[in-house]
Amino acid sequence: MFRGMFARPENGKMYWKEFMHQCNDIGIGSLGIVTIISVFIGAVSTIQTAYQLVSPLLPKTIIAQIVRDTVILEFAPTLTCIVLAGVIGSKIASELGNMRVSEQIDALEIMGINTKAYLIAPKIVAGVLMIPLLIIISMTLGIWGGRLAGVAAGILSGETYDRGLLDGFKAYNVFFALAKSFVFAFIICSIPAFYGYYVKGGALEIGRSSTKAVVVSCVLLLIADYVLSALLL
Amino acid sequence: MIELKNIQKSFGDKPVIKDVSATMQAGQCNLIIGSSGSGKTVLMKCMVGLFEPDGGQVIYDGKDFFSLNLDEKKEIRKEIGMLFQGSALFDSQTVQQNVMFPLDMFTNDSHATKLKRANEVLDRVNLKDANKKFPAELSGGMKKRVALARAIVLNPKYLFCDEPNSGLDPLTSMVIDKLIQEITKEYNITTVVNTHDMNSLMEIGDYILYMHQGNKEWEGSNKEIIFSKNERLNEFIFASEFLKDAKEMRMLEETGKLPDEIREKPAE
Repeated sequence: MFRGMFARPENGKMYWKEFMHQCNDIGIGSLGIVTIISVFIGAVSTIQTAYQLVSPLLPKTIIAQIVRDTVILEFAPTLTCIVLAGVIGSKIASELGNMRVSEQIDALEIMGINTKAYLIAPKIVAGVLMIPLLIIISMTLGIWGGRLAGVAAGILSGETYDRGLLDGFKAYNVFFALAKSFVFAFIICSIPAFYGYYVKGGALEIGRSSTKAVVVSCVLLLIADYVLSALLL
Repeated sequence: MIELKNIQKSFGDKPVIKDVSATMQAGQCNLIIGSSGSGKTVLMKCMVGLFEPDGGQVIYDGKDFFSLNLDEKKEIRKEIGMLFQGSALFDSQTVQQNVMFPLDMFTNDSHATKLKRANEVLDRVNLKDANKKFPAELSGGMKKRVALARAIVLNPKYLFCDEPNSGLDPLTSMVIDKLIQEITKEYNITTVVNTHDMNSLMEIGDYILYMHQGNKEWEGSNKEIIFSKNERLNEFIFASEFLKDAKEMRMLEETGKLPDEIREKPAE
């Protein structure tokens, strides 16, 4: 599949238009769900961390540190990407599957268009560009959600939380999260594209291939998460 | 002109096309007919390059399609228009965007020029005031006409139509047939049509290739088909009493003789 993607575009403008369309679909289209899950993940992290930290000897700022690191290292990149694998993955697989079954891909082939380059490459490039941006937003919102919940529940003050965020902050953690998000973005877009592009049959098979694409993507995400953690941390 | 030389195609152990040779005449409506599973769609997909044959050649005006490199194949494909059985319109695009798509992809004309051309072909297929509609809002016949407009928008040399009448009522089928025939003559296109439709066969079939179980069983024109002695062909085409009567009427029309007289002196 990847070999056929690297070809000279028939018309750069049309490819650019398709790329921008995918950026909009993947980036803007997923912003709502990313916002919701990030804020709640951060909020729940703060409450649960406070619940488990029963020793009065530990400063409250440690809650913010734990929330910050878990959100940056794991929750924002991995959990968000697992949700995105469902949202974006099923969309890509069903869109391409429908195009295959209804002969739209054949129609493009007959026009002399490299369908792998025109249909798949913009999705993967847009995904690899937009998903890390979504992860950055997710990190920010997750940490903010933690602050919001901490203050609202009377666990700690805003100032204490902010002080905790700055304590022992490692920029490498953000680099690690972004490295993960690039790999995850590639998995989220390429696996469903493969299952969608090569689907055979009818509506039932489109549904099956979508489900399979999401399941395989999620499993690969978890494997990649483990491998990257072992290698980079 | 499109020449097919000894085309063979199998899927697994099952041969679907067995050594078929034929010549699709330039500027004419060439029909491929046959019952379901006879291999006509596979043959058409081999002709347009969606399937690569296991053996044989598809020659477009002297160029063997499958021996060309990717860029040369693309050049030939730009001269091909195809009307698919299910229309294959892009769901997310309006009628206008669908028809303009090949122009956007392959020409550097201004938007106004492309829009003018799109409107011209939409007018040609008698489809006005549908520019802003999406495929889901169109009837089956309208979808076919949009697909036909998209297929001819780049002035192709070759037009392929896969079962253009499937799912259409007899009247709409006739409209589509007439359009295909008119466009073929008007633009001097080499048209290849896959069909089951007996009306199409009689009305637009300048050259007819009858396929049976992957073999070429018979070839000729719509004038010759009514005099054919091929039993399988007759069984396939004139299956009902109504069609038998129609055949005899056509024989009378063509020869001025009653069918019984013709049967006594069969034509070659």
